[in-house]
Amino acid sequence: MSAFLARNRLIVLAYAGMVVLLLVTALFSPGFLSVSNMRSTVVLAAFVGIVALGQTFVIIGGGIDLSVPWVLNSAAIIMALLCGGQDLPLVWVMPLLLAGGAFIGFINGIGVAQFGVPPIIMTLATNVILQGLILVLTGGSPTPSAPALIQFLSVGRLGGFPVIALIWLALTLVATLLLSKAAFGRHLYALGTSATVAEFSGVPTARTTILTYVISGLTAAFAGMLLTGYSGQAYLGMGDAYLFTSIAAVAIGGASILGGSGHYLGTVAGAMVLTILTGLLPALNLSSGALLIVYGAVILLTVSIGSETFAGLGGRLRRKEG
Amino acid sequence: MDLVTVNGLSKRYGGIVALSEATFSARAGEVHALLGENGAGKSTFIQILSGAVQHDGGSILVDGQDYRPANPDAAQARGIAAVFQELSLIPDLSVEQNIWFRHEPRTWLGTVNRTEMRRKTLALLEKYNFPALRPDQELRRLTLAERQIVEIAKGLAKDPRILILDEATSALPAREAEWLLNLTRQLAAEGRLVIFISHRMAEVRAIADRLTIFRNGSTVAAHEADAVSDNEIVTQMIGRHLDRLYPERVSTATDRIALGVKGFSSGSRLSGVDFALREGEVLGVGGLQGHGQRELFQALFGATKASGSIELWGKPVSIGNPRQALTGKDGIALVPEDRRGQGLLLTKSVRENLTLSVIKRFTENGLLSRQKEAALVKEMVDFLRIKAGTSEQLAGTLSGGNQQKVIFGKMLLTQARVLLLYDPTRGVDVGTKGEIFQLMRDLAAKGYAILFHSSDMSELVHVADRVLVMRNGRIAATLEGDHISEEEILRAAMLETRAA
Repeated sequence: MSAFLARNRLIVLAYAGMVVLLLVTALFSPGFLSVSNMRSTVVLAAFVGIVALGQTFVIIGGGIDLSVPWVLNSAAIIMALLCGGQDLPLVWVMPLLLAGGAFIGFINGIGVAQFGVPPIIMTLATNVILQGLILVLTGGSPTPSAPALIQFLSVGRLGGFPVIALIWLALTLVATLLLSKAAFGRHLYALGTSATVAEFSGVPTARTTILTYVISGLTAAFAGMLLTGYSGQAYLGMGDAYLFTSIAAVAIGGASILGGSGHYLGTVAGAMVLTILTGLLPALNLSSGALLIVYGAVILLTVSIGSETFAGLGGRLRRKEG
Repeated sequence: MDLVTVNGLSKRYGGIVALSEATFSARAGEVHALLGENGAGKSTFIQILSGAVQHDGGSILVDGQDYRPANPDAAQARGIAAVFQELSLIPDLSVEQNIWFRHEPRTWLGTVNRTEMRRKTLALLEKYNFPALRPDQELRRLTLAERQIVEIAKGLAKDPRILILDEATSALPAREAEWLLNLTRQLAAEGRLVIFISHRMAEVRAIADRLTIFRNGSTVAAHEADAVSDNEIVTQMIGRHLDRLYPERVSTATDRIALGVKGFSSGSRLSGVDFALREGEVLGVGGLQGHGQRELFQALFGATKASGSIELWGKPVSIGNPRQALTGKDGIALVPEDRRGQGLLLTKSVRENLTLSVIKRFTENGLLSRQKEAALVKEMVDFLRIKAGTSEQLAGTLSGGNQQKVIFGKMLLTQARVLLLYDPTRGVDVGTKGEIFQLMRDLAAKGYAILFHSSDMSELVHVADRVLVMRNGRIAATLEGDHISEEEILRAAMLETRAA
């Protein structure tokens, strides 16, 4: 365990940051640490955390997934349309949409791994194409409300715990197993550290790359459906915020944005930090514009303190001064 | 008076002592060789001299004045430039842009004066009789050897009084290495001091006026070059007597063909190669650099596309990528040319590197078994005597020789018995070189089949059972027994070139 801590200093740092942030927030808004408020904070963080799960895999592998917002939007809107407020259709709609998310990820992965399209371009393109498809499909009209079962999954409780928190916990376990205990994890870290060395070492680089995007498509689609339950209905643009937050959560969690390092356990702390921050800022009584500016700046600051990329740069600058 | 005097120089990295009480002195106008095994402290020493790191204790005098550069720029201001093994060039820039990087000639507007830069580049290349280089060529198109030459030009562009060459010849083919040796004499004749690091004794013999030997972070001895024998030098370097560098060559080859290659072609560099590598054999691949050796090794390993037929242990196979090459006990494994770019994950541990190609060997029901992995790691660390603090130490922090051992370990764990070794001793200290040659013969005796390329021809002569000489992408000659000599290899490699 101590070896794990030594190797994952940045993850420990992310959790320390989370605790500090909690205490600071409690100082400004005394009710913040109450059970009900913590509960709702965890629920909000879970959405970020689930989207960021796939993003974590993609980033560790040396890529980035910018198609997250519209995979999320599409899953949310199509689910609402197909279910029409009924629970029963979920039996086939949910697997169908998860498969759809995985398929989008597969396309992204093929483009990156087989055709050498830069990840930014590839995923940005699928994002725009999906946006177009959904607009054609819905004509921009509002959708029916979310089925009750989905609402239960996202806002319901089980034994006092939010259901979505339990789902998040289960997903965290799966992600940790994949990263720390499976051959896939080893392949992924090698790929993100050096694609050439990985290839020369017999790592199935193409398959590994494709799989990361498939996972990202899956989690984005899943988060889209859950988010519909949370807000009661699906609407265009509901996933937009998750592009930035999913990447920021990974970076705050200690992963190098260039790939090869990081862990989902860090991303979990990153998702919490981002969510607590959105709770803290309103307590400071700022206008909504000023709020966004502070939010962005704080994230930039957190990431630059935490991320290895910048730590290296800081070291280099310090050496120059010395 | 001495140009550089170093006393009691010390440097620690955390708990590791890299240099302790090292001394050194060198005069202007001499070529001064710095010798020592990898990890002896040579690299740290020249990093301090060139301003890349700062020392903790001791003093350096340059021209009798205290010298403690805060960074490489400050070192250059005092007339000290270094050419390192790890190249510092930018692939996207041209040759000349790299040479004058951050020191570009300017116009009165402050923009780069391209005409002047071209003129200065050509003047520099001509003055020191550089091998052919096109100033406007993009660096990424150059071979490793050509990049090394650009790196040397970049060092000289600063017009240094002290030029440090860190294993600059190790990436160069014979002709260019010869040029570099002459260059060091020319620089010394101009009154400059050249500090020269090389693991090749013959080179040191050819050019050095004096030499200083490092071991375990301290200075062991300094000699006038003509007052000391090779044996004394090697003994002082490794702290024990090395019987000989090359193991006895006892042929262990059987009649069984491990790797049969017919009509093997790849791109424009490799056309119609036929040969048979036998079980228990060390088959050398020689020739002038750039005649298809690299392409042969890469294509056999599946790293580049190729046509023709390959038989492994009598069975026809097609190898589309390295993963297929490495599969199973009948696979092919490679020690690649570029240790840092192709062989090792520098920011990952020795353990992760060793087991990267054999994750299946310690996976049970889809989960990794850390115990089984640890056993595999221990097996290789012990077998190859890899010197690392723990198996969790990062591969990038190991010395060159130990990094190469990790790559060997990674290859041996795959259980492939056809081994492709591309220049496995490049930049490796003399002690480890001896271990590698011994290992090759031991593996051959166990029935491994080894294809072996070296940029140092004498290694082929002393280690290989047979030598294939390549010329223009074909096998020009196969030398056996008493016919293997540097002269014969060169003759076969150059014959057609001369005729054409």
